[in-house]
Amino acid sequence: MTSTTFIGAADDLIEDLEPAAPVKRYWLVRLVSIVAVLAIWEVAGRQVNPLFMAYPSDIVHAAYRMIASGELLAAFLDSMKTLTLGFILASIAGVVLGLLIGRYRYVDAATDWLVNALYATPLVAITPLVILWFGLGFPAKLFIVFILAVFPVLINTASGVRNVAGQLIDVGTAFAATERQIFGKIILPAALPFMMTGIRLGIGRAIIGMVVAEFFTAINGLGALIIKYGNQFETAAMFVPILCLMLMGVVYTTIALRFEHWVAPWRFTDDE
Amino acid sequence: MNQIVLKEDVMTANPARKVKLGVSGINKTFRIRNANGQPSSLLPVLRDIRFDVYENEVVSLIGESGCGKTTLLRTIQGLVRHDSGTISVDGKEVKGAGRDRGFVFQQPSLLPWRTARENVEFGLELQGMAAGERAERAKRLLALVGLGHAAEQFPHQLSGGMQQRIGLARALAIDPTILLMDEPFSALDAQTREVLQKELLRIQAETRKTILFVTHDLDEAIYLSNRIIVLGAKPGRVKEVITLPFSGERPELPVMRGDPEFQAIRTRIWDLIRSTPANS
Repeated sequence: MTSTTFIGAADDLIEDLEPAAPVKRYWLVRLVSIVAVLAIWEVAGRQVNPLFMAYPSDIVHAAYRMIASGELLAAFLDSMKTLTLGFILASIAGVVLGLLIGRYRYVDAATDWLVNALYATPLVAITPLVILWFGLGFPAKLFIVFILAVFPVLINTASGVRNVAGQLIDVGTAFAATERQIFGKIILPAALPFMMTGIRLGIGRAIIGMVVAEFFTAINGLGALIIKYGNQFETAAMFVPILCLMLMGVVYTTIALRFEHWVAPWRFTDDE
Repeated sequence: MNQIVLKEDVMTANPARKVKLGVSGINKTFRIRNANGQPSSLLPVLRDIRFDVYENEVVSLIGESGCGKTTLLRTIQGLVRHDSGTISVDGKEVKGAGRDRGFVFQQPSLLPWRTARENVEFGLELQGMAAGERAERAKRLLALVGLGHAAEQFPHQLSGGMQQRIGLARALAIDPTILLMDEPFSALDAQTREVLQKELLRIQAETRKTILFVTHDLDEAIYLSNRIIVLGAKPGRVKEVITLPFSGERPELPVMRGDPEFQAIRTRIWDLIRSTPANS
């Protein structure tokens, strides 16, 4: 900005019509905050008995050791296998069932009590029962991930189908679309963003399901590593798989959010 | 005043003109239910509506709000079922929706996941037209409504006026016998509205489409129409059909507003709408 274009105020006092590029400044604040928290943790963590708390540099050391031995990668891949497969199955089942429930009143009436009851139940509570059914292996873990992740997908898909704007259905009717064309060309694409929201919410629950299942079976995966190092009182090593889980959650949720924007850019134009 | 406004429908007297839309004896009543879901009363909305719309004619339906003009238009399109009476397009009775009528909604009602071109192709796609032919026709129609440059843009990237142009192109794409327009410009700002009114006259002159246009805006009705059907309210019925004396190229609306003839017609319609008794 040239200094000759304003009258009556110092240049740095002139207010921006729209705050210009705040992104950069916020990133700086964020960076400072991260460094500060890590520093406080490092300093405070060293004062505490290592049994109760680990500090960042200790965790990095433990991570290095676990990566070098191949232990972390093996557990990570094992967890990923359960998570990915269970989650894909839950997404497919959730979308198909959600479409049926949202579209047909009688399917809804037949199932809504069950869906609501199961969604309200903290389903990790049935884990011991699932282990009785499927044993301690992969199928039990797969089932728990599936049953936890399927409901958010199903419920969001159904509500997406139910909430298609009447205006858009009218367009189909006015242009003499058949029932099938209305479903395929209007209801399905209109419900797609809701499905994506359900899928994003499902990811969080799938990760919870995976960890809980691994706690109970405690044979392999990141959950088993947490239990193992917890029992050995190696707190720093226990933090490593926890951080891995955090990373998985962040990466998956970010991908899902990006995907949501991509399939339905018109939903996000107001707040961007 | 009555010498200017022709009360007689002179066009019916001309047998050479083809009837594109025939509406005869339409009745429609809604049932009102109370909070318990029990039927409590009946609301007659349309009573014995009859009129014809001729080839290459623009006819406006006008009346106070709640007179059932939108319900009537939706009935003609087949979006609302009527209790009795017949609707015929090109002399053939129609039941339910059909692509012989093109509908332009009050809200643009575009499919947000489709580009402008894909929205215009919607009706053609339902017909099963091949993709290449479809795209070609959609592009031609977008050019006709002045949006040739925006074919690959999504509705949320376009203004309300542009969206409504796409709505018009979508309805024209299926080459309907008659175009039904439900207060299409009422949600737009005054300037955009005037531009689109002028555009509609141009497009009508180019395509020679027959148009039935619902509006509550007297100036708009007078400016656009060959005839105006004034509806009375509660229940909606045809009160009077007014044939407008303007022909050929019209001056712009602001200029027309200064014309004494325009003002006389406006006063006449205004009196007709206002004189509707509260219950009849």
